[in-house]
Order: sequence, then C-alpha cells, then structure tokens
Amino acid sequence: MADPDNRWNRRLFLHVPAIFLVLFFVLPLIALVILSFWQTENYKIVREWSATNYVTLATEPAYFVFFVRSLFLAIGVSIFSVAVSWPIAFFIVRHGGRYKLILSLLLAVPFLSGEVLRLISLQGMLGPTGLVNGVLLKIGSAPLRFIMYSNWATFIALVYLYLPMVVTTVYLSLLNFDFRLTSAASSCGANRFQVFCEIVWPLNLSGTIVGFLLCFIPTLSASLAPRFLGGPSGVLYGMSIAQQFGESGTWALGAAMGVVLFLFSMAVLGVFSLGIDLRRTGFTGMGRL
Amino acid sequence: MYAQASNERLTKWLMAAILVAAYGFLYMPIVHILFASLSSRPNFPYPPEFDYGSYIRLYTNTVYQSAFLNSLIIATCTSILSTVLGFLATVGVLRFAGRKALVYAAFFAGPLFVSEILLGISSMSLYYLAFELQGNMVTAIIANSVHCFSFCFLIMAALLYRYDWRMNEAAVVCGASPVRVFFEVMLPLTWSGILSSLIVAFVLSLNGLDISFYLLGATPTMPSVAWGALRYGVKPELYALSSIINILVFAAIIVLYFVARSDRQLSVE
Repeated sequence: MADPDNRWNRRLFLHVPAIFLVLFFVLPLIALVILSFWQTENYKIVREWSATNYVTLATEPAYFVFFVRSLFLAIGVSIFSVAVSWPIAFFIVRHGGRYKLILSLLLAVPFLSGEVLRLISLQGMLGPTGLVNGVLLKIGSAPLRFIMYSNWATFIALVYLYLPMVVTTVYLSLLNFDFRLTSAASSCGANRFQVFCEIVWPLNLSGTIVGFLLCFIPTLSASLAPRFLGGPSGVLYGMSIAQQFGESGTWALGAAMGVVLFLFSMAVLGVFSLGIDLRRTGFTGMGRL
Repeated sequence: MYAQASNERLTKWLMAAILVAAYGFLYMPIVHILFASLSSRPNFPYPPEFDYGSYIRLYTNTVYQSAFLNSLIIATCTSILSTVLGFLATVGVLRFAGRKALVYAAFFAGPLFVSEILLGISSMSLYYLAFELQGNMVTAIIANSVHCFSFCFLIMAALLYRYDWRMNEAAVVCGASPVRVFFEVMLPLTWSGILSSLIVAFVLSLNGLDISFYLLGATPTMPSVAWGALRYGVKPELYALSSIINILVFAAIIVLYFVARSDRQLSVE
C-alpha cells in the first residue's frame, strides 16, 4: 500500500469516478434538501428557511392519497413482475441451451427503446383506438373500458416498462447459481418442492430482491406513464412532483416531495439490503471470485 | 417415477408458455407500431400495407431534425463520458480497492437506485441554486452520465472480473508505458465490455426523457419533442419515429450479440 505508484493508481481509478459522483450525484441531492426548506412565490425562489413545505405535505390529504396510490401500485407491479420473471429466467437458464444469449438480449430491446416511445407503442395497443379495442370492435364486442385511462392501464404500462429489468436481474442471479446443488439435494431425498424452497429460492433471494428494488423504486416515482395513461383518477406521486417543477412552478414544494420520496426509497432500500448479499446477486460476477 | 417425469415436462412447458406470453406482450406493441407507421389507416393497420407517407412527413419536419441532432450530441458525449468513468471505476474496484471493494461497488451502483426524476430535479436544483443557471446541453450530458455510469460500471465489471491483471504487470516488466499497456494489452482483451457499455449508454441517453427534460430548458431533444407531441394526441409521425428508434435499438442488440459471442469464443480459446 505504501508504494507511491499504487497510491496514484488508487487516486486515478477510484477517486476520479467517486469525485464525479459526489459532485453530480450527492451534491444535487443536498441541493434538493436545501431547496425543500425554502419557498417559492410567483415562480421565484425565496430564500427563507422554514418547514412550510413539509407541513403542507403532511396536512394536505391529496398528497397522501397520491403517495399511497403510488405505493400500492409499485408493490403490485413489482410483485407481479418478480412472479412472472422467475419462470422466464429459470426457463432461459435451464432450457435455453445455445439460445440463452439471444433470449436474454432480446429482453433488452423493449427496455432500451425509451420510456416515451414505449408509452407511444402502448397507447397504440390500449388506447380508445388501439389494437385491443380495435380487435374487440371488429369481432363485435364492446371495448374494454378498464384498460383506457385508468390505474389498470398504468399498471400494465409499468409492468411493460420494468419487466425486462426484473427478468434480467433474476436471470443473472440464476446464471451464477450452481445447479449441481439441486441434484445433490435430490439425491439426498428432497422432493422438488423442497429443492426449490430450501435451495434454489434462498440462494437466489439476493438477486430477486435487487430485481424487486430495481422495479419498485422507479415505479414508485413514475411520472410519465400515469400522466399519459392513468386518466383523471390516476394521479401518482411522481407525476405530482413533475407538475410542481413544471406547470405550477412550485419548485420548493416539489423539492420537499422529492426529499420525502428519496428518504422513503432509502428506507426501503435499507430494510431490504439487510437481506442482500451483493456477492450472491450475480450482478458483477463477484460471487465467483 | 413416470409421474415425476411427466410432471417435470409439464412444468417445463408451463414456463415456456409464460416466456412466450411475456415476449409476445413485450413485442406486440413494437410490431403493431411498425405496421401502423407503414399504413394509411394507423388505428387498425391490418392487413399490413406499405405506405411511406408518415416517414416522409417525419423526415421533412425541421423540429424533429434539430431534436434528433441534439439527442445525438447528448447521447454521444454521455456514452463516452460514462464509459470512461465506468472503466476507471471498474478497474479501481477490481484491482485497487482491496477490502473496500464492496463499499465502492455499492456507491458506484447507487444512481441505479435513485429514480431518474429525482436525479433530474435534484440536478436542476443544484445548478439553479449554485449558479442561477438554466439547463443547457452540458448539464444534461452530466446528469445523463451519472445515470448511465452505473450501467456502464456494472456491464464492464461483469465482463472484466475474470481479467488476468498479471498480463498488465508482464507488459510493464517488458518496458511498456501505461498507455501502451492499455492499447496493446487491455483494449484487445476487453473491447467487448467497453463496446457494450458504449452502446448501452448511448441508447439509454438517446431516449432518456426524465433527466433531460428538467435540465434542457428550451432545447428540444427527441424524447422531449415526442413527449410534447404525445400530449396533443398520437400522430402517425410519432409511430414512424418510434419504429426507426426500435429498429436502431434492435440493430444495436444484434451488434451486442455478436460482441458477446466473440468474447465467449475468445475466453474459450
């Protein structure tokens, strides 16, 4: 450690990216906290310290409703995505054979094509003139009302947006899982149910939790999907933040909402990370070191 | 015994069915949009036809042109900046961090767990509070880089963890300068990870709306123009734009596939 060469290397390789993150990731979050204790009047920021914004948040029931709605939606979307991801990832790992790589990469196409474009595609499917209702009208049935401008539409959209992410995380975890352990358990007399519950699931729990969080955190703050597909009763918390910074110009209140969202996300992250062993997620391949 | 085998087959087919359903769910809108963009009846484009009208209207629309150019600049700069930083971080964590490797890795993966909208509004707050600065291209590039950095770091870490660092030392012993070590030893062996990271960061920042939205002020980018147009109803031009991007992403994925495959062959040799 003492030789100067190594110290310079550490500075270059570890400290440059770390300083970049501190400057442009940590510092902005601090600025957000500061802003949340100031006020906005007539689209101008007034630098007076007070907790008015937080009082507004706590006393105005609308924000609480938005938050609870977002929370339930995020929990539902994440649990559904994890439940669907497991069979998909398991099938690719166990039976994918030489198509493993292409199957896992194909998941990335819908993920990489961007939120707005995916929402456009979804609107083409679910909207009043979309494919689903077009087909229903063609065969003479009534259009499905619940998939147009409702919380269900938001639910479908959010699953569509984040399912690839969850499948990929679970897939990476299973890929680094040593399946010989299951054969060992079987030959020791465990039935298939026991093998899954006592070997496969616990040893891939960390990867699953990471997948859950990578879906939960963005869905909790979803702002585009509900705005476009959610309809009048579908206002979500993230969408409300976006409005504070956009149309209504109440930046300080929006900042306070952002701080609440950040603290809540961190709390969830903290609780769940107790159950995470990063080495087991298969994320960086560190488990094999 | 027989019952168990058939049971196993049933599970296998059940999983396959879920997989097919999920891929169908993910790809149906994309295919539908492609047909819709090529049709004169975008609402129900079946049977498919081939009408390039919406593509021509898109091509001649100057708003989309400048927006596309801006997005291209942001995406290029972001992918380079975040890949360089991600590369430094990967080498740092794998080689120089020692016992603190997990701490640094968790910190570098941190932006992944902070949603884009928070990253956008917090960066906007910082620039506004510190410099009274409205958003511009540079701030958008930096904020996008923070977001993409984590992806780059994870991609390169996944591909570099089995790199044999003794090769660098061997090259140094033979008298190579650090720059030469990088270009003649590391780059030929790790180019697949670096290229994957460049592609993913490029595509992510090309399409990232939330971050750019807050940091750009009045500069139009492709997602923000598409978002603006979306609020006034979906037009066939948007379908065309969406299809073009989907095809580009698809091409990028095919490149990634061949990169990953050649990398695997390399490691087998």
